[in-house]
Amino acid sequence: MNETKRLQWREALRVFRERMGGLTDAKKSYLKSDREARKAVREALRFGPKTIPELTQQLNLPGEKVTWYVMGLKRYGEIIEAGQAGEYFRYALKESER
Amino acid sequence: MAEMKDRYDGLVIGGGIAGMQAALDLAGQGFQVLLVERQPSIGGVMVGLNKVFPTLDCSSCICTPRMAEVAHHQRITLLTYTEVQKVEPLNPGFRIGLLKKPRYVVETDCIGCSLCELACDVYVPHEFDQGLGARRAIYIPHANAIPQVAVLDPEFCVFDGNCAKVCPRDCIDFTQQAEGRTVDVGAVIVASGLQITPMGAKKEYGGDKYVNVMNPLAMERVQSSNGPYGHVLRPSDGKVPKSVAYVQCAGSRDASIGVPYCSRVCCMYALKQAIMIKHQLHDTEVTIYHMDIRAFGKGYEQFYRRAMAEGIRVVKAKVAKITETKNRDLIVRVELIDEGGRVADVQHELVVLSQGLIPAWHPADVIPIGEARDGFFEVPELATLPARSTCDGIFLAGVATGPKDIPDAIVEAGAAAMEAAMYLDRTRVGQTAATGSGHRA
Repeated sequence: MNETKRLQWREALRVFRERMGGLTDAKKSYLKSDREARKAVREALRFGPKTIPELTQQLNLPGEKVTWYVMGLKRYGEIIEAGQAGEYFRYALKESER
Repeated sequence: MAEMKDRYDGLVIGGGIAGMQAALDLAGQGFQVLLVERQPSIGGVMVGLNKVFPTLDCSSCICTPRMAEVAHHQRITLLTYTEVQKVEPLNPGFRIGLLKKPRYVVETDCIGCSLCELACDVYVPHEFDQGLGARRAIYIPHANAIPQVAVLDPEFCVFDGNCAKVCPRDCIDFTQQAEGRTVDVGAVIVASGLQITPMGAKKEYGGDKYVNVMNPLAMERVQSSNGPYGHVLRPSDGKVPKSVAYVQCAGSRDASIGVPYCSRVCCMYALKQAIMIKHQLHDTEVTIYHMDIRAFGKGYEQFYRRAMAEGIRVVKAKVAKITETKNRDLIVRVELIDEGGRVADVQHELVVLSQGLIPAWHPADVIPIGEARDGFFEVPELATLPARSTCDGIFLAGVATGPKDIPDAIVEAGAAAMEAAMYLDRTRVGQTAATGSGHRA
């Protein structure tokens, strides 16, 4: 993107941000917890594949939230399925994410 | 796709299967059609289903060709992410007030590459996956979306500009605002579709309390190969369920929740989903608790018998309540009709409530057509003219008039298109810029 276009969209973004009421406390709180949760899942998988119950035990999150983040990270290519342990799938960090 | 004009022969409200069929049938007769859809993509509910009954065809495989045909038709103009604000009779014809919501993406420039989505660092519950999957604040609605164009959700945007930095076409436009438009049309077809009964409607079933009590559209997404999980798993812990229960008439035939009518498709979609579970999970026990199985259509009775032959347990019972155990299993309290009303508590790992169908649109002051007592649009001559509304020139298709399956919705869409064509010929309002003569192009 050339410098003129970059300056134009930055100004447009500034106006857009003002029009939408800026980064509210609620949004900041959501973003913080969202990023922390994803980081925690990645960290928990750094030392080997785990099932969702194993992740839930390790993290301070409800099981359905862990499922949601695992499936989201899987969708966006950060983690992969890594075999099964009985009725649960194991999940692992993708090699490039280690 | 045809360019936007000031005047069309027909307006179709709703881009689901009935709306798309009506638009194609009307445009196929030579009329210029404007199709308006409030979601960022056409396809409606059908594009999110896994399979259809009773053929078990892939739903998106039969829906997406129609979506593509609508998008490329020379006589159909497609306006997505747009709401109808006003339908004003002109006698003949109508003046339509539209509100195009801002995507914050230039639609004509976006190539659907998803780089903006990948650059965004916010995870948001994905409506297309019924909240079970994640999307980003800027996202392509789904893999089969038409148009395949990103949309930015300002409610979750954190204004970091990452999307704009990576867009290869520089088509992120933060200056976009909602845009009002007015068009004149000759006739209107309302195909506004359905939503399901809210999960919390029947408190006894815990639909809004227990995560392993799922809604049927969520189960469709879970069963889909491009769904949020990739396998049939339960939401609380990702476990492959060994026992699944369906509760029929969970959101229908119940005056206490304001849905006294039968929703017509729930028995069939429960049988379909149950068969698909057995196909994917051979050892999983599937039980359908029902008051009576309604299998009225062509091939439906055979489908019901096939389900039982494949090992689906179909139990005549009324479910009184559902509670949750410590490990998030569900206890379903049932009154077993065929056992003299014996009450039993049965444990299952996953429960699907076969929720009913309710109208998706209640446009009280927007469009001059009446609503019936059941909340769907009123059809004054239901037995003989099922596509006509209470207003001359406005026609109805699909679930807008009441619950129905996909074949019936498509047939009704054809009927509405035919009625609209006859109306346009009769009133000579079928005059577009292209013809100017009252005859079709």
